[in-house]
Amino acid sequence: MMYGVKRVARYLLGTDVAGRTLAVRPDDTFIVSYPRSGNTWTRFLIANLLHPGQAVSFANIERLIPDAEAHSSRYMKRMRSPRFIKSHQYFDHRYRRVIYLVRDPRDVVLSYYDFSRKYGQIDDGYPLERYVGDFVHGRLSSADWGTWAENVGSWIAARGHSPDFLLIHYEDLKAHTAQELSRMAQFLGLECDSKTLRHAIECSSAERLRELEKNQGNAWVTTRNKREDIPFIGTAMAGKWQSRLPEVAVEKIELAWADLLNRLGYPLSSTRRKVDSVAEPSRLAARRVPR
Amino acid sequence: MLPDDIFLVSYPKSGNTWARFLLANLMYPEQNPDFGNIHRLVADPDATQKREFDRMPRPRVIKSHWCFEPRFKRVIYLVRDPRDVAISEYHYQRKTRRIADAYPLEQYVERFVAGTTYEIGSWGQHLLTWVGASNGQPGFLLARYEDMVADPVGQLSRIAAFLDVAATPQQLRAAVERSSAERMRKLEKEKGHLLSLTKGSREDLPFVRAAKSGGWRTDLPEPLIAKIETAWAPLMQHLGYELHTSVRGSAEADAMTTMLHGIRA
Repeated sequence: MMYGVKRVARYLLGTDVAGRTLAVRPDDTFIVSYPRSGNTWTRFLIANLLHPGQAVSFANIERLIPDAEAHSSRYMKRMRSPRFIKSHQYFDHRYRRVIYLVRDPRDVVLSYYDFSRKYGQIDDGYPLERYVGDFVHGRLSSADWGTWAENVGSWIAARGHSPDFLLIHYEDLKAHTAQELSRMAQFLGLECDSKTLRHAIECSSAERLRELEKNQGNAWVTTRNKREDIPFIGTAMAGKWQSRLPEVAVEKIELAWADLLNRLGYPLSSTRRKVDSVAEPSRLAARRVPR
Repeated sequence: MLPDDIFLVSYPKSGNTWARFLLANLMYPEQNPDFGNIHRLVADPDATQKREFDRMPRPRVIKSHWCFEPRFKRVIYLVRDPRDVAISEYHYQRKTRRIADAYPLEQYVERFVAGTTYEIGSWGQHLLTWVGASNGQPGFLLARYEDMVADPVGQLSRIAAFLDVAATPQQLRAAVERSSAERMRKLEKEKGHLLSLTKGSREDLPFVRAAKSGGWRTDLPEPLIAKIETAWAPLMQHLGYELHTSVRGSAEADAMTTMLHGIRA
């Protein structure tokens, strides 16, 4: 009873976070990913495609593609349909049209480590290896979104075969941005010429986002009141783990999620490959763009 | 939610109530589990009150029909042949007056495949969220209803081991006998009206029905079998449910097959 009263009060005051309780509409489109998997970049890319006349920035991105994990239910309700919404939720059957971004978890954890320091969730001295253990075993403060494997696994298993679901690998988006963006545009039914695509890509480049973060980071809901010495826009690189992630941390991730890594076409590093038999190359992997 | 909570998860009409009785009869035989107290022994969030939850012995076993939920750390997932689930659902919906007796089975199966008969989505999607997210993790156990029917003592022993519940062969056998379909039918007659799932429902239709596997072979017309198999052929084969009709391949089916690579049944 008390809980119900509090919930209504929070709704009226707009102090709740929509998140899992978001009232989903049939014509919503979601950009879903585990955190630190290129969601902000993709939001900018798509926002620039949808609104080529507007200068997309941290000052207006929350109006163009709002973050369901940052805004109140009331804020989300006020948005006019059809909405494009950013989300980090594990599988939710109410989401009809979904672009799902997946990124190599060995890179995700490095990026997440910096993010957690920026957010003050851990100290600078927190051992990376311990953090990787937290990451694998679901002990991060974002555990309610599931672990990386739970988040990714729940979506691709349940929806991977559906025509209303588009899986994008961060690594492909890095290497072949125009091609992957045009796949997204096609999926969304947007007619885009190569000029529009190029424009969207330029306006969403890591350099530009870094510049915007410097000027608007204090105003953006995601970075407001957070440490400024660590940027939200990270190095935007693929494969950094190969030089930066200690071997025992790599092993920890590969041991926990070997099947899923293989299915997604993220080859296990040599030490583990000797131990694990590598599954047959899957269509998920085959669909990826050859380097 | 407590860290040692155990969740008994399934799509509806997949043997969840039977499994609750099996576990209750194994863990708390002295309580004489029946339709009047089962919600205090193996909880149902829709029926068990918060006070009753707080009083449950630990580890608590809790029933759920939810899709994948990361807060559930220890999960027994019950899966049943969707062709039998569809028929069982149809009867249950009639019993609970959600559909009329004359409701066409064909129309029901169509909705079943589309996943609109329950708020939680379709049978296949429900299962895939769980195996996709939890595959191979130590806190996840997949159990087939058909195996439980064929070898209830063996399957209950497997589940007990997963729960860390010590059980002698005699205790296992006793729990199985006390949860038999005949006995549960008798219990339903006595106290069926107390179970939240059947409260206020038609008494001319039983909640504990055939309690067997393969009923679809006689009860489900061929075109409806085909409908279900077309939707989930790769998934059904993966689980060892033999196909009855020749299903034509599709891009979606191929993709589903791929998805199941490396997923253990």
